[in-house]
Amino acid sequence: MDDTSRQIRFTLNGRPVTARVESHLDLVDLLRRFDLFGARESCGQGLCGCCTVLVDGVAVSGCLTLAQLVDGRSVTTVESLDEGGALSPVQQAFIDEGAFQCGFCTPGFVMMTHELLKENPDPDEAAIRDYLAGNLCRCAAYPEIIRAVQTAATRMKTAQAA
Amino acid sequence: MRGFELVHPASLGEAIKLLDTDDPTVRPFSGGTALMLMMKAGVFQPSRLVDLGGIEPEHAAVEATGDGGLKLGAMATLAQVERSADVMRVAPVIPRAMKRLANVRVRNVARIGGNLAHGDPHMDLPPVLSSLGGEVAVTGPAGERRIAIESLFSGYYETVLSQGELIRQVILPPQRGWASAYMKCTTRSADDWPALGVAVSLKLTDGAVQDSRIMVSAATEKLTRLAAAEAALEGAQPGEAAFARAADAAATEAETIDDARGSAEYKTELLRVYVKRALAEAVRNGAVQ
Repeated sequence: MDDTSRQIRFTLNGRPVTARVESHLDLVDLLRRFDLFGARESCGQGLCGCCTVLVDGVAVSGCLTLAQLVDGRSVTTVESLDEGGALSPVQQAFIDEGAFQCGFCTPGFVMMTHELLKENPDPDEAAIRDYLAGNLCRCAAYPEIIRAVQTAATRMKTAQAA
Repeated sequence: MRGFELVHPASLGEAIKLLDTDDPTVRPFSGGTALMLMMKAGVFQPSRLVDLGGIEPEHAAVEATGDGGLKLGAMATLAQVERSADVMRVAPVIPRAMKRLANVRVRNVARIGGNLAHGDPHMDLPPVLSSLGGEVAVTGPAGERRIAIESLFSGYYETVLSQGELIRQVILPPQRGWASAYMKCTTRSADDWPALGVAVSLKLTDGAVQDSRIMVSAATEKLTRLAAAEAALEGAQPGEAAFARAADAAATEAETIDDARGSAEYKTELLRVYVKRALAEAVRNGAVQ
């Protein structure tokens, strides 16, 4: 096959970057070239949520995204969440509630929880379960994860009111 | 995955030109969530993918029509359709079905046109949209044509679309007076592809079933309309007795197939149960005003 690589420019966690990428490279593998390992490929089928990133502010599965198609777009990963030096309220809530064992799925859950709380700052348990149905935790920390989402929601509402 | 040519047309016409070849390894790419799975599994190796992202804005509108129907641009994401107030009002069965369709990320990316064109008999929207009497407007090198969604599929992962044709829009007729429901049965895990999908739509007049559309998917090789089940309902009072007659007719006429999610015999029994449940659910949901 001829060289199918192409130079792309995109915004990565707020900074403009360029990369030369092959047509068949997916977004998870592209992020690894920038030493970003928070989005991981687990199922490789868009089912498990471990590779959740935002493209132009929309949550997607990095494993189902062709890297060349983020040309001109903005990509946000879990690594952006503590850029101010402090963990995000969602990250802190996951720690406080012990919402993981091995931690492999955690970046995906944290990213999806941020999206959920952006759309619905006060989700009930059914809404949390619906929204996170596409994130799998093989350690089965689901009860703690749901508590972490509720804790994060409460703290973010309190912070907002203050 | 192996390398391929990835091209970015700026208009529908340009996309059709790039797709107008005899080479079946040249394919359109919209959300890509289904095609990526095939490419990763090595089932499909494209020589050229035609990225439809550049023609998106013009073909992603979701809107109610003046007569009480809907027009869905083929490049609308499933999330966009799910969240549309027009869709919720005209065809609430669609957002209800979306809740258990893949997951939030896939719905953010997958497009309604690609969902239909992929020809996968396990998808939820083909039975739903066809039970609502939906059609697709298809544009190709020879111009535009309309195809009823119930006639779009010619086999397992096969459609009647020819190479170079693209679904441009989904058109739903007026839904006033129709009551609809979709039910699916997943036999392995809650988020698995369904072993069976049943979509029903009923028009009730003066307490009797005046018209109906009953569709089965996943349990059959392709989306199938169950004409005998519909005939069993015609003129009947909606209720357990009529629904049982329709379910028996459905079980007799549907050609279910074996796969990892169940034997053909098992799926036939599932169909008998789910047709009854879906009809009762449609009545409970009530007619669209």
